[in-house]
This record gives sequence, C-alpha cells and structure tokens, in this order.
Amino acid sequence: MFAAQLALNALALGAAYALVAIGFVLVLNATTAVNFGHGDTVVAGGFLAVALATLMPGELAVPGLVLLPAILALMALFGALMSWLVYLPIRDRPPVTTFITTIAFGIIIANGVNALFGGAPRSAPTLIGGGGFSAGELFLSRQSVAIVGVSAVLIAGLALLLNRTQLGRQLRACAQDPEMAQAVGIHLTRMTVITFALAAALAGAAGLLLANQFFVTPSDGGVLMLKAYIAVTIGGWGSLRGAVAGALLIAAFEVAVASQISQPVAEGLLYVTLFIVLFFRPQGLFGEPVGQRA
Amino acid sequence: MNYRAGTVPLLAIIAVAIAAYAVLFASSYDLRVLTVSGIYVILVLGYQFIFGHAGALSLAQGAFFGMGAYVTGILGSQLGWQFTATFPLSILVPALLAATIALPVLRLESHYFALATLALDQGLLLIAINWEAVTGGANGLPGVPGIVIFDFAVPRGLALLAFVWALAAGAAALAWWVMHGLYGLSFTVMRETPLAAGALGIDRAALRFVAFVLSAAYGGAAGALFVHTIRVISPEVLGFAIMVTVLTMTVAGGRTQIVGAIIGAVLLIHLPEWFRGLEQYYLVAVGVALLLVILFAPDGAAAYLGRRTVKSQNNPQPNITPPDLCPARTSGLKITGLVKNYGGVRALAGVDLNVAPGEIVGLIGPNGSGKTTLANLLTGLDRPDSGCIILRDKDITGLPAHRIARLGIGRTFQTPQLAPSLHLVDAVAAAHAGDGDVDLATARADARAILAGLGLTTRADQLCRNQPHGVRRSVDLAAALARRPSVIVLDEPAAGLTQDEATTLAAVLRTYAANGAAVLVIDHDMTFLLPLAQRLVCLDAGHVIAQGVPDEVVGEPAVIAAYFGAAVTTP
Repeated sequence: MFAAQLALNALALGAAYALVAIGFVLVLNATTAVNFGHGDTVVAGGFLAVALATLMPGELAVPGLVLLPAILALMALFGALMSWLVYLPIRDRPPVTTFITTIAFGIIIANGVNALFGGAPRSAPTLIGGGGFSAGELFLSRQSVAIVGVSAVLIAGLALLLNRTQLGRQLRACAQDPEMAQAVGIHLTRMTVITFALAAALAGAAGLLLANQFFVTPSDGGVLMLKAYIAVTIGGWGSLRGAVAGALLIAAFEVAVASQISQPVAEGLLYVTLFIVLFFRPQGLFGEPVGQRA
Repeated sequence: MNYRAGTVPLLAIIAVAIAAYAVLFASSYDLRVLTVSGIYVILVLGYQFIFGHAGALSLAQGAFFGMGAYVTGILGSQLGWQFTATFPLSILVPALLAATIALPVLRLESHYFALATLALDQGLLLIAINWEAVTGGANGLPGVPGIVIFDFAVPRGLALLAFVWALAAGAAALAWWVMHGLYGLSFTVMRETPLAAGALGIDRAALRFVAFVLSAAYGGAAGALFVHTIRVISPEVLGFAIMVTVLTMTVAGGRTQIVGAIIGAVLLIHLPEWFRGLEQYYLVAVGVALLLVILFAPDGAAAYLGRRTVKSQNNPQPNITPPDLCPARTSGLKITGLVKNYGGVRALAGVDLNVAPGEIVGLIGPNGSGKTTLANLLTGLDRPDSGCIILRDKDITGLPAHRIARLGIGRTFQTPQLAPSLHLVDAVAAAHAGDGDVDLATARADARAILAGLGLTTRADQLCRNQPHGVRRSVDLAAALARRPSVIVLDEPAAGLTQDEATTLAAVLRTYAANGAAVLVIDHDMTFLLPLAQRLVCLDAGHVIAQGVPDEVVGEPAVIAAYFGAAVTTP
C-alpha cells in the first residue's frame, strides 16, 4: 500500500514537472534556444497563486482551481512580454546571447519575487481542498488527484491546440522550418510570441500545482529548470511526448530515492545521472539532429 | 598584442586612480568594498578564459569560487591552517575538479555545456548545505582567520586592499602572458571559426581544457581571498547570484580584455554603493544591467576604449618579397575503399584515389556526389565508416582534424572560414599556432609575405569581417599555405572568383605543386579546372565513375550522364 501511495505522489509530482518540461520544449523548438529563465517563470506562477489567494476578500478560502484561469491568462501575458524583452531583439545573434538574456530575466524574476515576498517557502491554496479518499488501506490525497487531473486536462488541451487547429499547425510549422513557414505567409514573430505565452502559461500552472504540496521558494528556479532540462534530455531533445515521459521518470526516481534515503540525495543522484548520460551520449539520450556543412 | 597597445597606459591610469582614491579619500568601509572589487577582478579574469577566450558559456565559475572559499574556510576555521597552506590548496582543488569533470563536460557544446556546469554548481550547493559535519550546513562556519604569511598577519584596511590588488595584478599579468602571443590567437580562431581551427592544426579540445582549468584555478583563488575578507563561510558563496554577477561583469566590462575585467568588477561591486536605495533590489538591478548591456552593447565597455587606440597601426612594410612557398615535406596521398553513410544515405561507396607529389588532381561530380564528404573525411572533420587514408606511409584514417593538419594536409573551405574579428595578417599568422616553436612576430612576418604573394599587401591590416568574397577566399588559401602542407585539398576554390583572381589562384597552385605538393582541387568550373589539373576524377553517387586525362574524362559517356542525365548517353 505504501508503494501505491508513493506512486500517486510520484504521478502528481511528475504531472507538474511535465507541464514545466513541455513549456521548456515549446520554446526550445520555436527558437532553437534554451530558456534559462524557465524555472523562474514557474516560480513566478507559484507566487502569483500565493498573491492572488491573499488578495481574495476576507478569510474566504478560495480553491486553487478558481485561480487557474487567471494564472493562465496573466502568465501568458508575462510570457509574451518575456519574448519581447529577451528573444525578439536578439534572435539573429548566436544562441549563447539568448542564454544570457534569459539568465538575466530569470535573475530579475527570482530576486524581484524575493524582494516582494521574502525568501521563505510559501504555500498556495489546494486545488479542490485538502483531505482525501480512503479506499481500503489506500489513502488518496485529494490534492494529488487534482494535480494529476488538471495537468492531464492542460496537456490534452495543448495537444488539441497543436494538432487540431490552424493555429497549432502554424506553430508547428514555425518550429520545424521557420523560413519555409514565413515563405507560405505565416507571421513568424506572432507565432514566437504565442509560443512564449503558451510556455509561460503552462509554467505558471505548474507553479500553482507545485506550490501547495511542495511549497515554492524564490530560489527554486534553477533546480526546476535543471529538472525540466534533464527530463528533456532523457525523453529526447525537442519531443513533447518524450518530455512528459522524462518528467514522470524523474519524479518517480525522486520520490523513490527520497522515501528510502533523503531528498538531497535524490537531487544529487539526479545530477550524477545527468553527467553519466552526457558522458555516454553527449547529444542527449536520443540524440539531436546535428548537421554541419563546411 | 600590438593591436591593443593602447590599453597599457589605460591600465596605468586606472591603477593610479584606484590607488589615489584608496589612500586619500576612502573610508574603511570604502576600502573593504574596493578589496572585494579586487577579488572579483581575479574571478572575472578567470571567467574570461572559458567564457571569453574559449567562447563556452560556463555556469560553474561560481562553483569554483565557492569551492576555493570552502577549502580555505574549513581548513582555516576548523584546523587552524594558515594562508600559505590553504591558498595553494584553494587553487588546486577547484582546478583538479575542473580537470576531472572536463572529460564528460568539455566535449559538450553550447547549452549542454552550460547546463552541465550549472548542475555541477547545484550539486556542490547541495553538498555544502547537507554535509553539516564538515561544512556547517546552511549556517556555515564562523572564525575563518585573516591572511597570515609566515607569522606576518596582513591587517585589514589598506594593507589587505594592497595585498588583494597585488594578487589581482599578478593574475592579470599571468592572463596577459598566456594570451598575448600566437596561443591567444588560436583561441580567437577556435572560438569564431571552429572548423578552420582544426584545419589549421589547432587542438580545440586542448585549448578548452586549459581555459576551463585556468578559470577554476582563478575562481578558487578569488574564493579563498573572499572568505579571508569576510571571515565566515556559508553556502551563499555557491549561490547562483555570484555566477550571474560574474557573467554580468564580464559581459559589461569586456569578454577578453584585462581592462574589461577591472571595469566590470569595480563598476558592479560599487553599483549598490552608488544606488543606496536599491538595497534588496540589488540583484534585480544586476539582472536589468545584464539585459541592457547584452541588448545594446554586447561587446562591453573595453571595446569602446580599445576602438580609439587601434588607428595608428596601419603601416604595412613596403616591398615585401613573397616567399617561395614549398611544402614542408613532399608526400602523396593514397585513399582506398573509403565508405561513409549518413543515416540511410550512402555518401561514399568505396572510393579509391591517389594523388602523387607534384600532381594536381581535379575532383568533379554533380552536387551530392560526395566531393565535400571526401574532403571532410580526408581532413578529419568526419570519420569514415570504413576504408583507409594513407599519408606518407602512415595510416591517418579517423584521426582528429588538428592531428591530420599537423601531419601535413591543408584545406580550404567551400565557404571561407575566417575569424571575423581578426585582421587578415593574424588570420593567416594563426596557421602557425599549432606549431609551438614559432613566435607571433615571425608568424606575422610570414603571413604578410604570403598575403603579398596573393596581392593583398594593402589589406593585410584590415579586419576579415569587412572583406569581399574573393579576398576571403585568398586569405583562406593563404592560411592553408602558411602551414606548408604536403597535401592540399581545395573545396571549390574558384567559385565566385573574378577571372583575374582565378588566374592568380591557378598560378599559385601550379607553383606549389611544382615544388612537390600533392594538390586535390574540387570544382565545377571546367574553364578553371581543365587547364590546371593533370588528372581528373569524376564522382557520382559516391562512386568513382571515371578518371584520367581531363579532356578524355569530360567526354566520357558516364560523366556526361552523371551531369546531364542518362538520356544523353550515346548507345
């Protein structure tokens, strides 16, 4: 029974990580640049949830689910703003420039949040209340179930958007071949801004989901970004499905090791794993199509 | 470097200004801030090796700083060890760590490298916080001693300031010494045109290794000085804030210039002092500063200072005699059964080809027939799946590009590979960087002479980035010739050249072959190739379909079919 309990925890954590990793991949595919501020965007979403909850009138305890649409919308705006500041002005420069601008943006978020809220861990409201259901000896936490549910709905929604709508086709076209997409009349800049908005909205949702059970601290961004990166490296560079699989795998690993030994050891081993993977597969576990013509 | 001669008086002015400020005006608090600035100068100088010179975005500079800090902090506060023992260890331990993780990490490119180094930083932070018995955990350890050298305690204030800045000056002198000659030039080539680096015999992996280890050693030294100054050690020294601060200093000051490191460090450490109102928003301000600098002045402050001092250097010596270019050794090239597949595409399907010393062989074939693949395999940019390449009785199959170049194969590229920020003379002089026994002045003199032979005397002191296509091709060729290769491979050398330029090129190649070199020319331009080549080899779909006397090869049915389609084939 203990194992089943852990499995649900791992699934909840993995579901939230999946949202983080998907946002990371969306931007990666659209810009071929790593967004080093992505983890801090998740933190921003978490603290936005904390702030919105405290803004609510009186002692009225608002379920987190009510906040979700507002967080998605505000974080989408935030993402669009981010693209205007850190990517669009420098998109013709070498990728390392984007790394630096996103690092700068991340440090602004992290320390802005730190100055506004202080450095201590904070917690956002639960999605649909605390407690849980008992089924025999098995106890299902309501929050964990809600996290998995919300993530599933968001991921399904994204899949529908990308695969079944004209906008989704345009977004995918820009990710696969920006020049060709422009040649057939797709507004590349608009698609880039939308991609950043989508990624930030998902990251914000992940912040809300993580911020109750696992708390949120201004300095969490780096670790979250590394985990998204490891998930993507394991799952296959650029693959959305792989990112979800990688995120679930990391969460399972983390929950299992943390339950047997401790959280720091789990995190440390994760980094060691990354080094081992990179040692044997410098281009990631499933490789990245790399071509170079003299 | 004589192109930056103007920075020496500038450094002197800065030194005098800082010294005057410290002695005449500074309060004890100001002195402390200035001391910390000096420590950051060392940290930034170290970061310039890997980020500036090697061009790799490392996020481990904070980790090396923290590691040096912890070595001194733990040994000093817990075991009572003195500066003379802890300082060398604080340098050595991060350097050894860097050398150890270099194996998995340094092979990585771009974001992989950045994230792996970030993981290193996070891993060390994790250890620092959780290994409480040794590190003191989240609270850290108090009671780190000051600097004591053989019973002489360096007092706080002016003396400590002078000591730190003296070390910073030493660090700067060492950085200058490492980078001032041909060695520094090879970093520029490696950073700006990695492909050309290999072809010129520059060992990219070795340069990156040296830069990474040096950056770690500097980081460790800075960390040690830092804990001696603040007298406590805590996980904050491993925080990402320090890494971002160093990155900002380096970008804002300048990525490779010593004066840039000083400007960046002093400016950024004094930023919160000048804007007292910022307080807890200090790091937000650092982030904003980094964003603004990278958007509007990505080359940093030092670039603006350097610009004015460059001018008076344009004095090309008149009447340079072009050298009689001879290959260092003569040797032929022997290729047998070379196979290369890219996924399901067979680029080369068992190619045999010989080029004798003194011979010019033309390699033709339609687009996609495998010509450039062959050139890449010959020069080590790619490894063949099977087959072998023999140079002077030595099997060189699958060796890395720089080794092949050093063994005597030179090449030019279809798109000339020139470091945009270098002057023509230096782009050619860099060809001697892999040799080790040539100094910069000799290399430059040789480069000027070779450029003169190609009619480029007047352009020798111009920047590569401003050159027209034909000139770029000539410079690419000059760099290849400067190595005196026994075999030279030219990938479409005549493409885009004017008639005059093509004639000069043909004459140079004829002379070079006559002096004993084996020359392999890949080209489409038959008016260029037919009179030049003694033998023509035609590739199609990875096979050699014809070879022999040029006029006969171009008349062969198989060759015509390859170029114009099978329908033209005579029955």
